[in-house]
Order: sequence, then C-alpha cells, then structure tokens
Amino acid sequence: MRPEASEIVRVSEVTKDFRPGLGLRRKRVLHGISFGVREGEIFGFVGPNGAGKTTTLKILMGLIRPTSGRATILGHDVRETAFRRNVGFLPENPYFYEYLTGREILAFYARLSGLPRAGRDERVLALLEQVGLSHAADARLRTYSKGMLQRVGIAQALVHDPSVVFLDEPMSGLDPIGRKEIRDLILRLRGEGKTVFMNTHILSDVELVCDRVAIIARGRIVHEGAIDEFLGTGERETDIVLGRLAPDLATALEEHRDAQLRRVGDRVEVRVREKDVDAVLQAALESGATVVSITPHRVSLETVFLSAVQAEAHEGER
Amino acid sequence: MTALFASGQRMLAIAANTVREAVRSRLLYTLLLFAVLLICAGALLSALSYVENDRILQDVGLGAMRLFGVAIALFVGVGLIHREVERRTVYTILSKPLSRAEFLLGKFAGLVFTVWMQLAIMALAFAAVSRASGAPLGGGHAAACLLLAVELALVVAIATFFSAFTTPMLSSLFAGGLWLVGNLTRDLREIGEASHQPGVELATTWVHRVLPDLASFNLSIEAVHGLPIAASDVWLPLAYGAAYCAVVLVGAVVIFEQRDFR
Repeated sequence: MRPEASEIVRVSEVTKDFRPGLGLRRKRVLHGISFGVREGEIFGFVGPNGAGKTTTLKILMGLIRPTSGRATILGHDVRETAFRRNVGFLPENPYFYEYLTGREILAFYARLSGLPRAGRDERVLALLEQVGLSHAADARLRTYSKGMLQRVGIAQALVHDPSVVFLDEPMSGLDPIGRKEIRDLILRLRGEGKTVFMNTHILSDVELVCDRVAIIARGRIVHEGAIDEFLGTGERETDIVLGRLAPDLATALEEHRDAQLRRVGDRVEVRVREKDVDAVLQAALESGATVVSITPHRVSLETVFLSAVQAEAHEGER
Repeated sequence: MTALFASGQRMLAIAANTVREAVRSRLLYTLLLFAVLLICAGALLSALSYVENDRILQDVGLGAMRLFGVAIALFVGVGLIHREVERRTVYTILSKPLSRAEFLLGKFAGLVFTVWMQLAIMALAFAAVSRASGAPLGGGHAAACLLLAVELALVVAIATFFSAFTTPMLSSLFAGGLWLVGNLTRDLREIGEASHQPGVELATTWVHRVLPDLASFNLSIEAVHGLPIAASDVWLPLAYGAAYCAVVLVGAVVIFEQRDFR
C-alpha cells in the first residue's frame, strides 16, 4: 500500500511469529497488517485482548522485531533510534525505577532524550505540574499509587516535547476524574499539532477523542477509517422527549412509526428513526405536546466493533 | 563527533542510574560489610599464628577481596538486564533515542564502576589493617589490586553476557561456573601437556585459549611474599582482560539486539 503524503506512521504487511515454547513450532500473532496514521490526528487502535494491539505497538517502538513487513515512523524504519527524539511512548501499566523520585525519573528520561542541561530542570517541573504531581516531586516512586505512576508515564512520554505520542491504554488505572484529565490532555496534544496513537479497548474514550480508528481482531485489521464513517453506518435513530403527550398520539406513534416509547415521570421518551423525526415532531406539536429535548442517537462504536470482531471470528473458524 | 558525544552522554545517564540503584541497595552494603569484617578477621587469625603472621593476614585479606568482589559482581551482574525486562523499565528506556548497545554498555559501565568502588573500599580496609599490624605494603599489592579490578570487570562482562538472554538463576550458574573454570584453565593446560596424549593436550590447550584465563589476574602470591613482578605480568593481563571484555560485550550486544521484549 502506498503511504499517503501526510502519514506519520505507516505499517506495511507486517507479520509476527512467536515461538510459544522451546519447540520449533511458531504461532503467528500478526497476519500482514497494514495501516497508516496521519499527521495531527488522534488515532485509535482498538481490539479485544490478545488481538495484537500491544505487539503492534511494541514493533513500532522497536521492542519487538517484525518477522516480515515494514513499519516506519516519520519516514524512518522503526529499527533506527535517532528519530525517537520526536517520539513519546507510554506503555501499558508502566513501571519505573522505584528508588527514584518523580523529579529524578523525569530528569533521567530528559537526559536520555538528549535535552540540554540548561532548561532541563524547568521542563521537568513544568511537566510535573502539568500532570498534577508537583506535590509528590521529591517522593520515591515506590510510594506512588497506580494512578500517579500512570501520570509519571505520561510525563516521561512528553518530556522531550515529541511530535508523535504513542499511548498504550492511557486511561488504565485512573479514576473518572483522572480519565477526563487524560482525555483533555490528549485533545490538547492534538491542539498543539501533535499526532497521537492510542491503543485502547475502552470504546467510549475512542468515541470521545479519536479522529480515526483501526480495529484489529485475531492479528488482522478488520476496519480502518474515520470515526464518523464508522458511526455513520447503519440506520440512525433519534430520542425525542415530549411533555403532555396525548395517549392516542402515543398509540399512533407506536403503531404507525414503529417508535419505542418509554415513560419517564410525566414525560415520554420516544425513539424514532431519523427519517421520521420531522413527522413525529409535527404531530406532537399539533396535538399540544411540548418538546423537551431531541437527541440524535448515534450507532455506538461498540456495535460496530462487536460486529467486526465477530465477523473476523466467524471467518477464522471457516 | 557530536553524535559520539551524544552517545556517550546517553550511556553515562544509564551508567549513573545503575550506580545510583546499587548505592541504594542494602544488600550490597551487607556484602561489603562482611568483606571488611573478613579482612579485619585476618588480623585475628594472624595473631593466633607463631609464624608468617603478615602472610596469613594478607592472604586472608586479598582472598576476601577476591571472593566478595566476585560475589558482588555476580550478584548485581546476573540480574542486570533480566530485571529491566522483567520490571518492563526497558520499554520506556528503549523508546528514547538510545540504541540497545548503548543501553547494555551503559549498564555494564555503571556496574563496573560500582564494583570498583566496593573494591576500593575493601582495598582501603586491607591497607589500614596491614598498616595497623605492621605488615609490609608495596607496589606488588597495588598491582594485585589493579589486576583484581580487571578480573572483576571481566566477571561483570560475563554476567552481563548471560543476563542478556537468560534468567538470573541460569546466569549466576553459567557465570559463576565460568569463573571457577576460568581459574583452572591454566592448570588444566599444564595437566594436558604433562599427559603427553595429543588429544588431551589439544583439548586442554583449546579450553585454555577459549575460556578466560583468570589465574593470570592473580598476583596475590607475588604481593604477599614480596616477589618481583615484571611489567609484562601486569600489562599483558591488562590487555588480555580488556580484549576478552570487548569480545564478551560484543557477543552480548549481538544477542541483545535480536531479543524481543514480549
């Protein structure tokens, strides 16, 4: 597949075989996968456990060598190292030297990333502040909670101000407030023009932040495209909440418009097909009902994800 | 030149961190304490003897330095890489602009520095006890310590090599075994030569050539007895140790480059 002009990451026909034990038998975990990540987007790499997400990410980070195929970041083969000064990486459940403090570990990564001595300490302090750890800057990492370690992980991924950031399950171990903060941070990174590659299985996060998505199942890419394309497939529905809905109109809606009605206190929530919205609203208003809210109901990514994964599973069984 | 400097800086960062990890490890202090106690115990043992008090004191002291030096080198060296992979700290480190070779060599340098620091403390304790007991100290003792430092660097290199692809348990078995055999290869070759059997002679000669000849780093007898030490007795083992370290480390890097961190 030809890389697109603005592609930052390109994975081409990558396969990976592992030897499960000491024997000669090999198990293929990636089956010639190909996909690309464009400049400035948030790319969601989604799949069930064991689908090959982390293996793919480790290949991109040079931690695992592909059996065949090629992967590039910023036009460089992933086996090279110099270009990594423009790459940040947060592994899943990151571990750090627990005998170091928050400040020391970030200074260590800054030094490894080639940050000049002048300004290094300021950068470390700014990042600790950004991820909400300035109060624990001088505490040893062995005293940090899982959520705090996740924040250290994010800080070390950003310490050298990379243009591409790879995040493996970035919301893992975080409470709802922490998750929102990380979502905001990811969106802010995009705002700064950075490209974000995010491995996750939390589909609601993907829906909220990602521009494009690839779904991997059993080592194969089963879908790749813009998030709106995914959610645009299938028939859309809309939820209309009405007040003072006359009983005969409610019956008519159920019978003629195939609407689903749910009573919520003195109001009625009516779920109708998108094409019927205008007619239902007109009928409701003419009957004297009040319109409380109209919410277009998008097909969830979960639905698309499950059908794609199930289709791949059926294909594999044949 | 700039790239070389940057590479050196990265290795230095890894080495400095390795030293910091060792400095904050209580077990190393315990080993060091026992070593110093054993060196001091040499003075007690020598006091029990009517003859050659100085020899007993210094034999025990140099022996303790060697034994504990090797124990520390093996203890820290065998888990050097495995620990990083097991704890997954290697993931974030290798995602930085740092080659696997730089990482491995940085770890090696940090560990060698740590072991040499411990050796320096033991040597100071040895010198203090010798001075207090009135035992002679001279250039022979300095040469013995210098070659012991080279031997310990070689033990660290061997431990690093095994640590690059196997578990700490197997690494300690292989590296410890190699250290034991390495101290016997010279004797083995002499036995082979004395056997007058071409097959045995050839085998023992090759064992001596391929495996490290660690006996060449041992100048304890010369130092303790005040025997003359030729310059070649020092620089030849120095050059041999440096070359052997380089070969072992190249092997470690080649293996480490191929590894998958699953």
